[in-house]
Amino acid sequence: MSTVTLIASDELRLMRRNRVAVVAFALLVLLTLAAALISWAHQQSITETRARFQSQAAEEFEAQPDRHPHRMVHFGNFIFRPLGPLATFDSGVDAFTGNSMFLEGHRQNSANFGDVRQSSLLVRFGQLTPAFVLQVIAPLLLIFLGYGAVARERELGSLRQMLAQGVSGRALVMGKLLALGVVAALVGLPTMIAFLLIAGQPGALAGPMLVIALGYAAYLTLWAIIVILVSALVRRGRDALLALLALWTALVILLPRVAPDVATQAHALPTRLETDIAIAHDLHKLGDSHNPDDPFFKAFKEKTLRQYGVTRVEDLPVNYKGLLGMEGEKLTSGLFDDYADRSFAIQAAQSRMTDGFGIVSPAISLRQLSMAAAGTDLAGHRRFMTQAEAYRYDMVQRLNRLQADSVSYANDTAGDVGADQRKRISAGHWHDIPQFRFQPASAADLVKASLPGLSLLLAWLIIAALALLPVARHLQKARP
Amino acid sequence: MTLIAHELRLLLRVRMAVLTLLLVALLSIAAVVAGMAEVARQRDVIARIQPKQAQDIASIAAWVDKSKDAGSAAYYSFHATWDAPAPLAFAALGLRDVAPYILRVRSLGLEAQLYDGEAFNPELALPGRFDFAFVLVYLTPLFVIALFHDLVSGEREAGRLRMLDAIAGSGRHLWARRVLLRGGLLFAALAVPLAIGAILSHVTGLALLAVLSLIALYLAFWISLTLLIGRLRWTSVANAATLAGLWLVLTLILPTVAHVAINQAIPVGQGVELTLAQREAVNRAWDIPREDTMRAFYANHPEWKDSPPLNAAFHYKWYLAFHQLGDESVAGKVAAYRHGIETRDAAAHDIGWLLPSVGVQSVLARLANTDMQAQLAYQDRIRAFHKQLRNFYYGYLFTDKPFGKVDFDKAPMFAG
Repeated sequence: MSTVTLIASDELRLMRRNRVAVVAFALLVLLTLAAALISWAHQQSITETRARFQSQAAEEFEAQPDRHPHRMVHFGNFIFRPLGPLATFDSGVDAFTGNSMFLEGHRQNSANFGDVRQSSLLVRFGQLTPAFVLQVIAPLLLIFLGYGAVARERELGSLRQMLAQGVSGRALVMGKLLALGVVAALVGLPTMIAFLLIAGQPGALAGPMLVIALGYAAYLTLWAIIVILVSALVRRGRDALLALLALWTALVILLPRVAPDVATQAHALPTRLETDIAIAHDLHKLGDSHNPDDPFFKAFKEKTLRQYGVTRVEDLPVNYKGLLGMEGEKLTSGLFDDYADRSFAIQAAQSRMTDGFGIVSPAISLRQLSMAAAGTDLAGHRRFMTQAEAYRYDMVQRLNRLQADSVSYANDTAGDVGADQRKRISAGHWHDIPQFRFQPASAADLVKASLPGLSLLLAWLIIAALALLPVARHLQKARP
Repeated sequence: MTLIAHELRLLLRVRMAVLTLLLVALLSIAAVVAGMAEVARQRDVIARIQPKQAQDIASIAAWVDKSKDAGSAAYYSFHATWDAPAPLAFAALGLRDVAPYILRVRSLGLEAQLYDGEAFNPELALPGRFDFAFVLVYLTPLFVIALFHDLVSGEREAGRLRMLDAIAGSGRHLWARRVLLRGGLLFAALAVPLAIGAILSHVTGLALLAVLSLIALYLAFWISLTLLIGRLRWTSVANAATLAGLWLVLTLILPTVAHVAINQAIPVGQGVELTLAQREAVNRAWDIPREDTMRAFYANHPEWKDSPPLNAAFHYKWYLAFHQLGDESVAGKVAAYRHGIETRDAAAHDIGWLLPSVGVQSVLARLANTDMQAQLAYQDRIRAFHKQLRNFYYGYLFTDKPFGKVDFDKAPMFAG
């Protein structure tokens, strides 16, 4: 056995004998397993609830009686964001975003009924997921088990002894690191069990899971190195513990909270009220549908009449009101996309700024990587919002098309007693409107999105590993 | 007094103690400044929307004035409501970053509007905000541990303990002095920035006193716990490790476990259900005789029953009537949904008696009026305002009174 493994196995034996260490380790493993199970059950119940609501909404849509198509534009449809299987591991922003949306004509509604608005304030204390345990709590365990690894030897005087017996500083550091690395691997193990649960589910993607495994391995290794570094540099074990606790507090607890504050102040997001007013204002500038002499709508009318070679809207082979509806929806929808793009561009800038704090806090980089690979980050939410808007537009335009083709202009403009019945079209048409299907991101997209976090983390790892060399040399100096 | 001054000199010679105290003061100042900046930003946003809102109404008034149709006015006019931050909001931002503090409503069905959210970046909300509550709840215990974990054991390890115990008349008084001094300095580091922020924000004396007592109580809890562990006569390092473990369990692990437990134990009849039901009820009106709708409406609201009967043409009073009936048809579900949220919230408050971290956070958010109760109270104010709006427009619609430009100014204003 080489010196390095000898030192490592010795250190591990010591840890095994330390009852507090064993209990702490066992508790963490239990906590990870509990988090995985709770998170899995939670995700299953969310998936089940949302699927149930989605099919209820679909049934209600199709069960509507014969109607004027525009009534269905206002009846609208509800859609629900499904959760990917990796949300079990890292639920990301799911609790903080609405997960249902009401889609109707002329309006873009917000996603509503997120967990955060119907739970107690405890939701702000964090979510018990395997990701939370590994990001926040696992480094603490490594600190508790490893702060004395080198410092203890120094305090007890055994460091000098070992060096005098010819153990190199490098072998000592590597041995201690190996021992702590084994602990880190064991800490990560329960999560791998959770991964097996997830991998069995449909839609589980190998690429992102691999990136997550790699990212967390790098993160825990990084912490093991940091612990050994501090333990080797500081004179007393207690100072090592306090320094490491301070470092952990700053990197894992404090900076992730400071970063969003900076980003919020740097990139202000307009309120929905302002956006709604701005859209109404822009729409008014494009064309005023309330004004019969409005140049835009007048031009549209003339163009339509020319296209069909008639002189009056009454003579059109299609219902002019349906065409007008389509044109109006095209205008509003273009503005919706425009404003949504702007809002998401600001949000993306905010997120980039907080991710930039990953340079000083590996916990932030890991969180970015983890959420991005799990598809539960802002981009994942945006994917839902974008698809929702595309679906909304398509649904509304299909209904407007039905109005243009299946309701005559004469009936549509009639106001007599029987007109209401003549305006209605058969309920069978509602079945022809396809239901919403969320397209999850591809494995390649998720992996690509997680690369910034991963590269920052690896950079941290390399720098920390390189820092071990001078520290080992520094230890060597303690030789008598 | 000289003894205290002496102890102070001793304390100031310990580099780590000075550093810790400075850091606490710095974090407290930063949190108060950040909180006040955020509250100022929210106030600015609320002020900023007023002229835009007025402009929006003016442009609607311009074209509605031609037809003088009260229905169009009611349908197209959105009215702003807002929830201005309370004076103490800077100390605990609570739910204000995830729940809207501005919401526009019109006199149509309220249940389809009340739960709308604000545009915000969820990635920024996820870790929680950096405010005074965070510094107090999460970081302060760690500083207490740093300052107190070696109070006695440090002297023992330095070989001074026996001597200190032997000095006549010192004994208990010595430790009491040291605890009071360290605790007092820690309290001052936290409380002075907060008090300055509170005075600048015009917080009432009573509320400030309550917050200061809360800080003192929370400090007392952690100091007592630290001293209790200290009595076990372990080494300083074992004390520190044990206390950090306790902190981890009390502020990070147990609250998240409690969250899962509460949400499992108290299912909230999903808000989705009530909006789906409300939509069914509202849209059904197009498929039933309009007279049925009006009859049901007049039964609930006899004050409008003398309105002239409907003729074949579309009339907005029917439209608004079925919207209101839609709201009323889900009143039971609304009450149940709200009751569920309130029960969850109450359960979290109860847990606050067991977990000081949760207790302090919830009391602070309550005092700052930024918690779930404040959110629900804002919803109540929106409801009351919406009722006023309905009555205002009904006054024109049900009497066929023309609605001109001047009438827009008569609309009820939300009292922030």
